[in-house]
Amino acid sequence: MIRIGDLLFSYDEGDFSLEIPQLNVAHGETVAIVGPSGSGKTTLLNMIAGTATPHSGQVTTNGYAISELHDAARRDFRIANIGLVFQEFELLEYLNVLDNILLPYRINRTLHLDTSVRERAEAIAERVGIGDKLARYANQLSQGEKQRVAVIRALVVQPPLLLADEPTGNLDPLNKERVLDILLQYATDNAATLVTVTHDHDILHRFQRVIDFKDFYAYGAGQRPENVAGPT
Amino acid sequence: MKLLTMLACVLPVAACTQDKQASEDTEALRNPPRVYTVNYPLAYFAERIAGESVQVVFPAPPDVDPAFWSPDAETIADYQQAELVLLNGAGYAGWLQRATLSRSRLVDTSAALADSLIPVDDTATHSHGPGGDHSHKDMAFTSWLDMDIAAGQARAVFDSLVRLRPENEPGYRERLHELENDLGELDTRLKVVAERIGDQPLVFSHPVYQYLARGYGLNGRSVHWEPHDVPGNDQWRELSDALATHAAAWMIWEDEPLPDTVSRLEGMGVESLVFRPCGNRPVEGSLVSVMLENVMALERAFPAAASIEPAEM
Amino acid sequence: MRDVLYLAWRYLVYHRLKTAILVTSIMLIIYLPIGLNVVVEQSAVHLTARAAATPLLIGTKGSPLELALNSLYFSSEHPELIDYSEATMVADSGLADAIPLYVRFRSRTHPIVGTSLDYFSFHNLSFASGRPMALLGECVVGANVAESLGVKPGDAVVSSSETVFDLAGVYPLKMKVAGVLARAFTPDDDAIFVDVKTAWIIEGLGHGHQDLARPEAASGVLSRADENIVANASVVQYNEITEDNLDSFHFHGDLAGYPLTAVLAVPRDEKSAVILRGRYTDDSSTSQIVRPVTVIDELLDTILTIQQFIVAAVIIVGLATIATAALVFMLSLRLRRREIDTMVKIGGSRPRVASMLLAEVVIVVILSSSLAAVLTLVTWRFGPGVIEGFVLT
Repeated sequence: MIRIGDLLFSYDEGDFSLEIPQLNVAHGETVAIVGPSGSGKTTLLNMIAGTATPHSGQVTTNGYAISELHDAARRDFRIANIGLVFQEFELLEYLNVLDNILLPYRINRTLHLDTSVRERAEAIAERVGIGDKLARYANQLSQGEKQRVAVIRALVVQPPLLLADEPTGNLDPLNKERVLDILLQYATDNAATLVTVTHDHDILHRFQRVIDFKDFYAYGAGQRPENVAGPT
Repeated sequence: MKLLTMLACVLPVAACTQDKQASEDTEALRNPPRVYTVNYPLAYFAERIAGESVQVVFPAPPDVDPAFWSPDAETIADYQQAELVLLNGAGYAGWLQRATLSRSRLVDTSAALADSLIPVDDTATHSHGPGGDHSHKDMAFTSWLDMDIAAGQARAVFDSLVRLRPENEPGYRERLHELENDLGELDTRLKVVAERIGDQPLVFSHPVYQYLARGYGLNGRSVHWEPHDVPGNDQWRELSDALATHAAAWMIWEDEPLPDTVSRLEGMGVESLVFRPCGNRPVEGSLVSVMLENVMALERAFPAAASIEPAEM
Repeated sequence: MRDVLYLAWRYLVYHRLKTAILVTSIMLIIYLPIGLNVVVEQSAVHLTARAAATPLLIGTKGSPLELALNSLYFSSEHPELIDYSEATMVADSGLADAIPLYVRFRSRTHPIVGTSLDYFSFHNLSFASGRPMALLGECVVGANVAESLGVKPGDAVVSSSETVFDLAGVYPLKMKVAGVLARAFTPDDDAIFVDVKTAWIIEGLGHGHQDLARPEAASGVLSRADENIVANASVVQYNEITEDNLDSFHFHGDLAGYPLTAVLAVPRDEKSAVILRGRYTDDSSTSQIVRPVTVIDELLDTILTIQQFIVAAVIIVGLATIATAALVFMLSLRLRRREIDTMVKIGGSRPRVASMLLAEVVIVVILSSSLAAVLTLVTWRFGPGVIEGFVLT
């Protein structure tokens, strides 16, 4: 599903840079990425999703050389193939739960919103326990409910790849497990790939593979990579 | 050829104009303008002068004195619809003060004769508070009993009819002259008989003969008697008191008095004769025929020294 | 497009207060100059038509505008009074027909116009029911008066008392409705018309009471001198004219000195108009003659000047408002940075996201414009009437 080779990325300002010689993630694999703050975990997710492009190297997602597509193509690809879940939920305050869930279908004409989509959204919402809250707004939901809405938003397009950045970071233990259950169940049911960035070591056991970011080279002044990890 | 062409253009237009005038005349004949009056003498003048070219209406009931008649609102509405309303002036028809009529359609037939009108001294006025304005003294209003004034009013009627139907002026003028001749003859005979009467005292049964008295030099004094009412004791007393200083031999009545009243008067040495003011339409005859009868009654009462009877008009 | 509009609409509805303020501000900026123009244009047409239909007005020297407003629109402020003899003089001159006007009293909010029958024919007023007034105490009401008071021929209206505590003040007179005018779409619709003599009775210049010569009126007699009876204040006066007491109504003094607010002069022709106007050029004359159309034109010029100032002010305010709205929008975009980033991150197309933001502006402008259009329509329908009512009462 994901192939990264000789990736080099840095920001125009500051000292940060990311170098990944090789990283592969198989279809249907559930991967957790851990590492110190500022090591580039989120940057990696952005490059996999295509919201950032490396200075050199190649990122291939689901067979597409996403790092070489132009911006519009990357967005069209992303909205249909990648479901994104954020630590801060990132729901739109002025849309109700159902509209937040269906948001991907309204912001890119690649996706077409019809009755089957609405029914799917309602069914998923019912399944995860918020079927009766579809008319509510984000400020009327608990933290756990908000993240469930965000997760359903990511799942509703039935993407083959889920990228989750600290999805349980702001949740209590109960909701943490609930959200993870949803993500992992989806991955299992749909043979989808799940890549999750997390600080929470308590949930690592639920993933098939754990990637420690300190295995990748992160430049400060004078530091060099010591190890490279990842399946072929 | 040019002339023929011109004629061909002009003649149809001329014909149309003539047709239009003819249809207007026909329309005027079918719907003559309405002329309302406040008394019979004015209606008579209008009928004599205008004939059938106007529709003269005097709507007071036949049994009322028009001077004191108050028409109802519907009748006043009819007056409002008239093209011309002839007023007597001199305060005649007090209802005019309480009615709404279009000023532009009113003609006061005695306006030009204002200096000839006679104020009446024997009516009570009232005021509010010591310094308040008085109500108006009345004017004597049977102005047509002086044939000069009657002729003046007839001329005012003529003027207003000519303004209404200017195209009929020649005919109206001719008929006005005829009317003036009739009034003139009445005036002459009245002057003759008045000369015979001289300053003999007369009693007028009602204060409606002021213009007759002044116009022909009659020495008259008025009481307030109605011809068809039995005079009360106060009224007999009032008459006796008047006769004490004004020894009249004749009382002049507006209409035929009751026989008993006539008898009692004769017992007092007072004869009765009828001189009808003719404010309302007579049962028979016309204003001129009624005036002629009035003149003849005076002539009978005060015959000439010669036995030759004057010719009838 | 539908999705873009939907998202934009949801944003506006959620922030309804901000949306309402924006819509209202922009609506006002659009509406004010247009609405003002509509009102002024319509009022100008209205005022000019009424003024143009009235050749000449004669009144006491003073404000021509006050004279015109009172005579044409029956404003509650009446000019100084002139004598009835002025009307007689004009009529007797043969130069013009004279229609007396005495506009001083009211029945609730409706002006009572004392005039003559010629007023109706002059203004081509027809009757929806009934007939013109024929007797003292009768009145004719305009179409709006009949509607608002619910009266028809045979009913009664009462003049309003001018003073409550002044014993010598104007007391109410009950007047019988003789007719109702057909709607004329002029100030005549809101007026009650009476014979000018009835107006004088309302004022107390004419009245009816018991015959003081009769015994039953003895308590009302102060004194008798010669042939004049002086009445005291206790004499019973009638406040309604009926068939029974009509004959008792009379006027004291000379009618020539009775008051009018104006004389409406209808010249026979242009030459007569010039001659008539020439008679009032003498500085020593206490009367003036005005051409209402001239007076109203001057008024409209003033209104136009004021309008131009207002429009200029509105434009300046409008530019400021638009600049403020633009600033609000830009600040809003900055505050919505995160929302926009989220949509971009999950794959929203730039054109779509931009369209959504633009659609919010477009919807606000469309809403503002629509509301401005509706208000303009309402103004077109009701504005002149409201303005006239405000100006004339």
